[in-house]
Amino acid sequence: MLDTVNAAPAQGAAQLGWTGVVRFLHLAPRAFLPMRAAETLTLVAGRGIEGDRYMIGNEEGFYSHKPEEGRQVTLFELETLVALKRDFGIELGPEEHRRNVTVEGVPLNHLVGRRFWLGETLLEATRLSVPCRHIEEITGKAIFDPLINRSGLNCKIRQGGIVKVGDTVRNAA
Amino acid sequence: MKARPITTVKTVVTGIEEAGAGTKLFTLADPDQWDLPPFKPGAHIDLHLPNGLVRTYSLCNEPADNARYVIAVKREAEGRGGSRALHDDVGVGDVIGVSLPRGGLEPDARVARYVFVAGGIGVTPFLSMARHFQRTAQADVTLHLVVREEMPLAAHLSSLIEAGTVVVHRTSREGRPDLAELVGDPNPETMVGCCGPESMIEDFERVTAAWPAARVHVERFVAPPPIIDPDAKPFTLSLARSGGEIHVRAGQTMLAALKEGGIDIATSCCGGICGACKVGWIEGKPVHRDRVLSPYERERYLMVCVAGSDSERLVLDL
Ligand code: FES
Repeated sequence: MLDTVNAAPAQGAAQLGWTGVVRFLHLAPRAFLPMRAAETLTLVAGRGIEGDRYMIGNEEGFYSHKPEEGRQVTLFELETLVALKRDFGIELGPEEHRRNVTVEGVPLNHLVGRRFWLGETLLEATRLSVPCRHIEEITGKAIFDPLINRSGLNCKIRQGGIVKVGDTVRNAA
Repeated sequence: MKARPITTVKTVVTGIEEAGAGTKLFTLADPDQWDLPPFKPGAHIDLHLPNGLVRTYSLCNEPADNARYVIAVKREAEGRGGSRALHDDVGVGDVIGVSLPRGGLEPDARVARYVFVAGGIGVTPFLSMARHFQRTAQADVTLHLVVREEMPLAAHLSSLIEAGTVVVHRTSREGRPDLAELVGDPNPETMVGCCGPESMIEDFERVTAAWPAARVHVERFVAPPPIIDPDAKPFTLSLARSGGEIHVRAGQTMLAALKEGGIDIATSCCGGICGACKVGWIEGKPVHRDRVLSPYERERYLMVCVAGSDSERLVLDL
């Protein structure tokens, strides 16, 4: 019990599942720099996003906080941005949360330890992201507390490729 | 080489320009011309110089000009070495780490008029503000620049002088201007500011004593201390295993003090929720403030990113 979710289909007509979509893509080549929107991102299996600060081997001898094998690409829910505005009156843009991919309709917190397709790329979710105290300094917005437990998802890239805004996100069986 | 955490924004010197009166303008940019972290008009940054010195300079460009940081540095032969290092040793193409920008003016829609008084090279923060307000046409700006004779940044000020935004007062010819007259009477729609030598700032503070504090802005060119809890006290960390002692300043985090002392601690959230920076404690009275340890764990561990101390000495298992 509670070691895994039940993957068997539900009885009767109920269909478990979800399908989501990529709404925004962002990257930054170095620590602290503002994220820049992109129409596409190139994901390299086992390494990261081309041109992004977390690409393994990108910053010679330095690591942005620490290198993390499980953080080759990061995702964030558009729904969280909507909730921040609705519940806290804080307007946070998709370029401000500092994750690479903003998705809609994807239950990120349910995906830890699972694989899913992001467009043509295959990701494996390693763990939930934690908010960072410094994000309040950078954005000037009090978002640390509201982002606890919904600060996105860290993933490894199992199969690389090009991800585009509008791509479909779906479970990999 | 051991991987180190990144604590500064990497910039490259892309331009150095002689700007008169012993002053040079340095332009810093991202190596790929990426936008730099945003800043408010008149903000300042710390430069981590190649010789290990850390020095604070005001940005003189405006926030909309966001792909570079421009600083004006006057060579102070008798100074503490920061300006000499920049003037004498730094060249185009050199890499310099800088802090995130701090301070500056939060433009306030209720302010219709800004009156700034600057002494010499103290003009830099107001140059950024004057440019910002000139472009956005949000408010009227008058900048009184007091110099002995030669003006720094003459080429950059000329259009502002022509527009009447900058008024130059040369003390060698007209003596010192009367600050009270330049500043005028308190007015809820006017904000006044000053940056210059300490004696000028003191005069300025005297003539603006009757002004509401929110309408007076003084730039002092020193790194402002982080917002300190008035009850915060300094304390000492004793490191049980390595035998060292580390002093934690009032309001400083243990984490920052340990880092200054060259002790590397893994962190992630820096806000007491993730558990990455857990350290054992042996003796003393920690103040926990985290949201990750259970009462039982707190008897032996603390989170150095948020914990404080109620005792003068706290012994850590480090
Ligand atoms: S760094 Fe996360 S708890 Fe200290």
